[in-house]
Amino acid sequence: MDLFANLALGFHTAVSPAALFFCFLGVTLGTLIGVLPGIGAMAAIAMLLPVTYHIPPTEALIMLAGIYYGAQYGGSTASILLRLPGTPQAAVVTLDGYPMAQQGRAGVALFITTIASFAGSVLGVLLLAGFAPLLARAAMSFQAAEYFALMVLGLMAAALLTQGSPVRGLIMVAAGLILGTVGTDLQTGTFRFVYGIPELADGIGLVAMAMGLFGVSEVIANAARGGAPAARRPRWREMIPTRADWRAAIPAMTRGAGIGAGFGTLPGTGSSIASFVSYAVEKRIARDPSRFGKGAIEGISAPEAANNAAAQTAFIPTLTLGVPGDAVLALMLGALIIHGIIPGPGLIAQQPALFWGLVASFVLGNLMLLVLNLPLIGLWISILRIPYRLLYPAILVFICIGVFSIRNSAFDIWLVLIFGAIGYGMRLLRFEPAPLLLGFILGPLLEQYLRRAMTVSRGDPMIFLERPISAAFLGLAALLLLHSLYTALRRRG
Amino acid sequence: MSDEDAGTPPLRRRLAAPGVIGGALSLLVGLWVMGEAGSYALGTARRMGPGYFPMLLGALMAILGTVLAATAFWRGEPPGEAEDRADPRALIAVLAGLGAFAYLLPRAGLIPAVAALVMIAAQGSGQLRPLAALALAGALAVLSWAIFGLGLGLQLPAFAARP
Repeated sequence: MDLFANLALGFHTAVSPAALFFCFLGVTLGTLIGVLPGIGAMAAIAMLLPVTYHIPPTEALIMLAGIYYGAQYGGSTASILLRLPGTPQAAVVTLDGYPMAQQGRAGVALFITTIASFAGSVLGVLLLAGFAPLLARAAMSFQAAEYFALMVLGLMAAALLTQGSPVRGLIMVAAGLILGTVGTDLQTGTFRFVYGIPELADGIGLVAMAMGLFGVSEVIANAARGGAPAARRPRWREMIPTRADWRAAIPAMTRGAGIGAGFGTLPGTGSSIASFVSYAVEKRIARDPSRFGKGAIEGISAPEAANNAAAQTAFIPTLTLGVPGDAVLALMLGALIIHGIIPGPGLIAQQPALFWGLVASFVLGNLMLLVLNLPLIGLWISILRIPYRLLYPAILVFICIGVFSIRNSAFDIWLVLIFGAIGYGMRLLRFEPAPLLLGFILGPLLEQYLRRAMTVSRGDPMIFLERPISAAFLGLAALLLLHSLYTALRRRG
Repeated sequence: MSDEDAGTPPLRRRLAAPGVIGGALSLLVGLWVMGEAGSYALGTARRMGPGYFPMLLGALMAILGTVLAATAFWRGEPPGEAEDRADPRALIAVLAGLGAFAYLLPRAGLIPAVAALVMIAAQGSGQLRPLAALALAGALAVLSWAIFGLGLGLQLPAFAARP
């Protein structure tokens, strides 16, 4: 079978010493930043983007991906022990994880979330390996209209399927698209929004912007936070779940993984929404919903399986369609483009070693994460005690040197400063930066496809509805919009 | 803070809701983008000029901003959590630290730039004594020079003397 030949190629790529090293580095860093509240996968990947300029694209992607899914594992640790979510995806785990810790069941909670993370990831990787090549083949026929419609759907999903208000999400997408137009218009050579600043002629630097919006604003918001109170390290014996725990947790993990896989595959929606939805589902179908919030084991198993499944399946649209699964993957897409690799339906065929190597590294990386998160859990708990007041100046140093090293430009550090201030302001006004980043990365492509489609149709916008696949994507986007309008109006009554 | 919630909140508080401020800012940005886009060639739907797409986006942003501000003003917004409060000390310290780094790096070199960044930014927590900040600054300056300058071979002189 084809799949086995491909997987063999993938493992051949992934077990090379360099690839193994970067995979290990990625998942370890991912766990670390997942465990530490106040720094997320987004900021960490932005911080490491400059480093990846110096290594080959496959290894770079393996490392960045490792950070991404590694953070999904680590995020639950601080949620359970300290009621401080290490990552946004893990916020929902605090609801039942912290009560479990208070009941003396922290060990069981940590064990179950790791197993749930692993189970979700396994399902996600299987879907990625089986489904991505098929989708890529189907997408071969896509033209400008289809890509435009797909990107609109992705942006709508990113804007509307968040915890915050849908109008704010849409504003962020629009802002990101506008920022994406800064620089030289490719078709006419006109400078847009450059205002005579030569550094802006090539557009705003992705890394500088992402570091400001995600890294610096997070640092400012958390600077005054004291060190985390010391948490006790659970003994190995305390971590083993009972038979009743397993009976409740396994079906919940299965449902969570399924929900997560669905959301991950949809472009634009990240793993946060998957974990929140799967928690809501568990609560709705439970025989006794009042147990939730008081240490229900389903309440930690399902969301953890969901966010990990979503983290893996989010690579499906990113690598086969070039439309990122969520904002973190948008950043990785940016990294690929920097390396001269344009993700799209042709990627799997043209870069088989890259794609299958990545898939194989996911398998190895998840196995490493099992080891990192079960026997070595004590290490992460002690790292949680490092006070943030010592940590954040070091984070800032790393951000500054990283940004500067991309093109030896102090201007980019001023950009970080400006976007840090903007990001902090957005945070206070309750705007989420993730849809903005997605808009920023997709903006130039969206405009290009829009122009091309409209030229083909001689200026008739009906082209987007006459082509069935494009019409289906836009129909889905319209449904999403109607749904969030409906929910917003109902909330009023 | 939330003891005067009975009845309609006073006008000043409704105007200070994050949605009203955020929506108004979005409206302004949208209008500004439209104005700027209007100065580029718009073109036609068939042959779009450089101003066409930004003009659409500016209009979208202005409309959405109006909607957000209006709904937040009339319907009010739920009160924010404690972490929504601004922390001016951290904001100023971190941004000033970044500014010092950007200014000093090309002029004085890596070690002074890192030391200044750490010394200034560390004031943001309000929890670090001066001596500890100094020690942290020294350690990070030497460490970053060793890692990035010596280790990774980046073009970062430890001390520079460019006017």
